[in-house]
Amino acid sequence: MPNLLEVRDLSKRFTSAGSAFRKARSMHAVNGVSFDLAKGRVIGVVGESGCGKSTLARLILRLIEPSGGAVHFDGDDLLAKSPAQMRRLRARMQMVFQDPYSAIDPRYTLARAVAEPFEVQGVTPEKPMTDEVAGLLEMVGLNPGLATSYPHQISGGQKQRVGIARALALRPSLLVLDEPTASLDVSVQAQIIGLLEDLRSDLGLTYLFISHDLSLVKYFCDEILVMYLGRVVEALPDTAAPARHPYTRTLMESTFEPDPKKRRLIAPLEGEVPSPFDLPPGCAFVDRCPNASALCRSETPALSTETGHAVACHHPI
Amino acid sequence: MLSVRDLGVAFGMVQPLSGVSFSVNKGETLGIVGESGSGKSLTAMSVMGLLPLSGGRITGGSVEFDGQDLTKLPERAYRKLRGGRIGLITQNPMTSLDPLQKIGPQVDDVAKLHLGLDGAEARARTEDILGTLRIPEPSLICERYPHQMSGGMKQRIVIAMALAADPDVLIADEPTTALDVTVQAQIIRLLDDLVKERDLALVLITHDMSVVAQTCDKIVVMYAGRAVEHGPVEEIFDRPRHPYTQALIACIPRGLDDATRLTGIEGTVPTVLNYPKGCPFHPRCPRAEAICATDPPEFSVAGDSAAACHFAEVANAQPA
Ligand SMILES: Nc1ncnc2c1ncn2[C@@H]1O[C@H](COP(=O)(O)OP(=O)(O)O)[C@@H](O)[C@H]1O
Ligand SMILES: Nc1ncnc2c1ncn2[C@@H]1O[C@H](COP(=O)(O)OP(=O)(O)O)[C@@H](O)[C@H]1O
Ligand code: SF4
Ligand code: SF4
Ligand SMILES: [Mg+2]
Ligand SMILES: [Mg+2]
Repeated sequence: MPNLLEVRDLSKRFTSAGSAFRKARSMHAVNGVSFDLAKGRVIGVVGESGCGKSTLARLILRLIEPSGGAVHFDGDDLLAKSPAQMRRLRARMQMVFQDPYSAIDPRYTLARAVAEPFEVQGVTPEKPMTDEVAGLLEMVGLNPGLATSYPHQISGGQKQRVGIARALALRPSLLVLDEPTASLDVSVQAQIIGLLEDLRSDLGLTYLFISHDLSLVKYFCDEILVMYLGRVVEALPDTAAPARHPYTRTLMESTFEPDPKKRRLIAPLEGEVPSPFDLPPGCAFVDRCPNASALCRSETPALSTETGHAVACHHPI
Repeated sequence: MLSVRDLGVAFGMVQPLSGVSFSVNKGETLGIVGESGSGKSLTAMSVMGLLPLSGGRITGGSVEFDGQDLTKLPERAYRKLRGGRIGLITQNPMTSLDPLQKIGPQVDDVAKLHLGLDGAEARARTEDILGTLRIPEPSLICERYPHQMSGGMKQRIVIAMALAADPDVLIADEPTTALDVTVQAQIIRLLDDLVKERDLALVLITHDMSVVAQTCDKIVVMYAGRAVEHGPVEEIFDRPRHPYTQALIACIPRGLDDATRLTGIEGTVPTVLNYPKGCPFHPRCPRAEAICATDPPEFSVAGDSAAACHFAEVANAQPA
């Protein structure tokens, strides 16, 4: 399958303005991220809060401007596009957010919320709008009778379905899902995951699935990118691949199984995630890593892609 | 050590909690698990005697601790127990920490109040406890303010405050829910060690079945303000007999090496304003019959566990 998305050395630096009490500081929220996403595949991005997952998502859709790097979507160089061209392209690449409330104006009926992407893009649907909306609601498992309801009248899971219906309105080929189930109960999370699985096979969608939950990512995705402090530290080519990066292993050992017969031995972990501001040279995991050597303090390990299982570590497992 | 029998709670006319029973011994971890709104926090607040603060009252049942029924305890006596022999850890450490005071004095105060130690003794105890919790450089940490620390470190300080009073029982209400997984694992390990080393009775409240499987000896599954199944953790995970427990387990990605398709549960978790009659799970239950909509099921016992379902016997014959 050809690549739908090619991300190259993508970076984003945030600078906090200085004040009388503090000098200006800058940090790399996303640092030299590269990967390919083939049509019809699902890549998971996993990592702890603040590691740059949402920033990466927004960079890919060019909702924010990168500090460096390139994004190709279906052959198009996104950074070379004018705002008008970008707007048109965005119909084909959509995002679903964690907080289904944030994307929907509380004063809109669900019909209006789902129809909004057509207005924004100036696209006239093939069918009459009410039929189009009813079809979209049905597609995400909602009763079309809900079209006249308001967000406060429906549950969190239903709101997330509306968020997905909106994202699907303009028939995109890529969905970037940023923790779409993180604020839902597990019974509802499982419903939404099932829906996403069905939509993927019915509509031939390609997903970039972002989550802090490694079990969920392993369950849902074909390939996995593990992020730590803005960098991809490991790219697992499939979900059965054993961890080679010490951080990935720590993540796996911290992820419990729903089975008392498979309890984990939790090794004490030294230190905490360092501040992303003014990181020292070398590997960002060095203070917590059992394999660390002097080299790790002086040289930042590059993501080596030689074996098809890329890992950014001087002493991989 | 702590034994709750048939607990019921009301706020005015609404009754968000009823028929909750469990017990926990020294050196044992009991998990209370359920999705949001199932009544876990209300259970914790009831045991801590904190309901009156939010306008709630206990409508029935008992909370026995060390031979006395806490539901009959006057507030003055409760104040000594709370944060003393019974400690509480909540999801947000800032509900227990004073943002304007340094860490050291906050932990010292607990030992002064509950153990009657003087300033120097209390500080020595504080540093000792911080050390056991694997907090590096306790004397430096004592001089810090809460806002200078990460979420995981603040949660450790709250645990230290609970330990400073030398408690018999710890109630931890979603202590790791707001934390990253690697930090969660560290806190879980810490609590495990404390239960073993100090012979604590731990009540661990969580929505996460994987956390329960990792840490607990026995569990209570709650749904819509009721306990629906309880028993030893292996029994419940091996042979869940309540359809809700079965469904809850089937909702969770089965660990890292198994791709069994997840099955969600139709519908949504009810709130206290729309708790169903009869069996609270009946609108979502794949096995429901007419009787489920009218008659609340009794507990049916099998081995060391019990499930409140009209068809628990049948359920037992069919693996989840
Ligand atoms: N608009 C912004 N301005 C400054 N810093 C930001 C901004 N957005 C994100 N960050 C910082 O970038 C880092 C990565 O954030 P984010 O991408 O949201 O991480 P994640 O989604 O993995 O939790 C964090 O340290 C965050 O504080
Ligand atoms: N102060 C209150 N007044 C009325 N109802 C309440 C109050 N606190 C909680 N409830 C209700 O009790 C039920 C259980 O809540 P809670 O114990 O917080 O659940 P959990 O901790 O399991 O998420 C919910 O339906 C909630 O709306
Ligand atoms: S580069 Fe060194 S410090 Fe970093 S993860 Fe590898 S072994 Fe550990
Ligand atoms: S009593 Fe009926 S509705 Fe309730 S769990 Fe059992 S079968 Fe389902
Ligand atoms: Mg995010
Ligand atoms: Mg709660």
